[in-house]
Amino acid sequence: MSKSTSRNPMDLLDRYLQAVRFWLPKPQQQDIIAELSEDLHSQVEEQEAELGRPLNETEMEVILKQRGRPLLVANRYLPQRSLIGPVLFPIYCFVLKIVAFFYLVPWVLVWIGMMLFSSSYRAEHTAAGWFGAIASAWGALWFVTFFALGTVTIVFVVLEQVQAKSRFLEDWNPRKLPPARNPNQIPRAGSVIEVVVNLMFGLWWIDTMSSLVVLNRPEIRIVLSPVWRYFFWAFLLLAVINAVLAGVNLARPYWTALRASIRLATDGAASGLFCWMMKASVLAQISGAHISTARALEITNAINLGAAKVFPVVLAVGIVIALADVYRVFRARKTVPAPLKREVSAAAV
Amino acid sequence: MRHTVCVTYYMTNGTQGGPEILENLKLELRRGCLIVAVLAQLRTEQYGYTLRKALADDGLAIDEGTLYPLLRRLETQGLLVSQWREEDKRNKRFYHLSPAGDLILKQLLEEWESINTSLNKILQEA
Repeated sequence: MSKSTSRNPMDLLDRYLQAVRFWLPKPQQQDIIAELSEDLHSQVEEQEAELGRPLNETEMEVILKQRGRPLLVANRYLPQRSLIGPVLFPIYCFVLKIVAFFYLVPWVLVWIGMMLFSSSYRAEHTAAGWFGAIASAWGALWFVTFFALGTVTIVFVVLEQVQAKSRFLEDWNPRKLPPARNPNQIPRAGSVIEVVVNLMFGLWWIDTMSSLVVLNRPEIRIVLSPVWRYFFWAFLLLAVINAVLAGVNLARPYWTALRASIRLATDGAASGLFCWMMKASVLAQISGAHISTARALEITNAINLGAAKVFPVVLAVGIVIALADVYRVFRARKTVPAPLKREVSAAAV
Repeated sequence: MRHTVCVTYYMTNGTQGGPEILENLKLELRRGCLIVAVLAQLRTEQYGYTLRKALADDGLAIDEGTLYPLLRRLETQGLLVSQWREEDKRNKRFYHLSPAGDLILKQLLEEWESINTSLNKILQEA
């Protein structure tokens, strides 16, 4: 005989009932346990009558396991409770995503940027080595994450309590809903502005920036380096392409994969050119009637150095723009353009 | 065309309809029916264990973890009345339908008939 069958099986039943009782609300404990006990005894009696003998401990264990874990059994008698209810939960998740995207991701990017491009910050934080710096940043990130998400959670728990009492979310007006929009729709006003701005920019660019001597006055003369010619023609070409693209967008005001890809290419090229320009020491010479040669050289170098220092910011902005453009390409590939959608709907009817 | 759209949607977004999905849908379908079945069974007085057996014998097995909380809820809503009484040397809680429960059961059965008629109509149209 195994050890498990040597004890009194009814002892298991009492222990089970006691465990369930622990999780029940006090005013109902007695009543619920009496009924549960009666049900279990009925089942045991019936099984014993079938077998023609008392149940052993293993058989009792099977019955109790079928009933389920005491906490779960008790839980079914408890009212449904939640810190954040089903009405607010989707909003809560949405806010968490926004916090993660606009607070935590920038936090990480700023840290990476500071470590890469700020020598003083890097020196300060890598005193204990790179591993120590990463561990320290990881710890700080956890703290920031818990603080941000914890704050949002607490706010929503409070909102849930208020909502449960006032039901403020039930008071809504369909007229106040945002207008239905197609994400691939291009506002015509935006296209008009783009055409005008690109054309004006092109004219100004040809008029002012075509020569290496961009400013030639008695008091000051600014000369660009020969590499500027590449930038001049490249930016002019981009302005023309953008103006044409905006013109097409004006006529067909929804993004297609092709036009979104062209926009990605032009934005990518513009970002690349800007990055190169920051590093290319474009300014060749500044001179003026009241500026000494040494001072002019100092100013020229300072401007070129300043431009080079701005490079990470330009790069970061370029990456953000490119990512947005890539997203637009995928969205345009996935979504049926609005006019085509209307045709499909008409065919379906 | 509509049929093609549905098939395309199923092929791109659907799953193979695993047993878990079926079980969940069956549970949802049974949930409302169980309440009607319990109310109908309790037109004659019964205690929990015999009620569970009777439902199981009629093909609507319900586990005790669902049945007893449901009985308590229905009693709180005034649809059932209960009474502790000794039978076979043990105290048992007997439930039966209250007058309000009787009325609600009639209304639920009418609703059931209406749903059944609509469903049959839809199935015949399909």
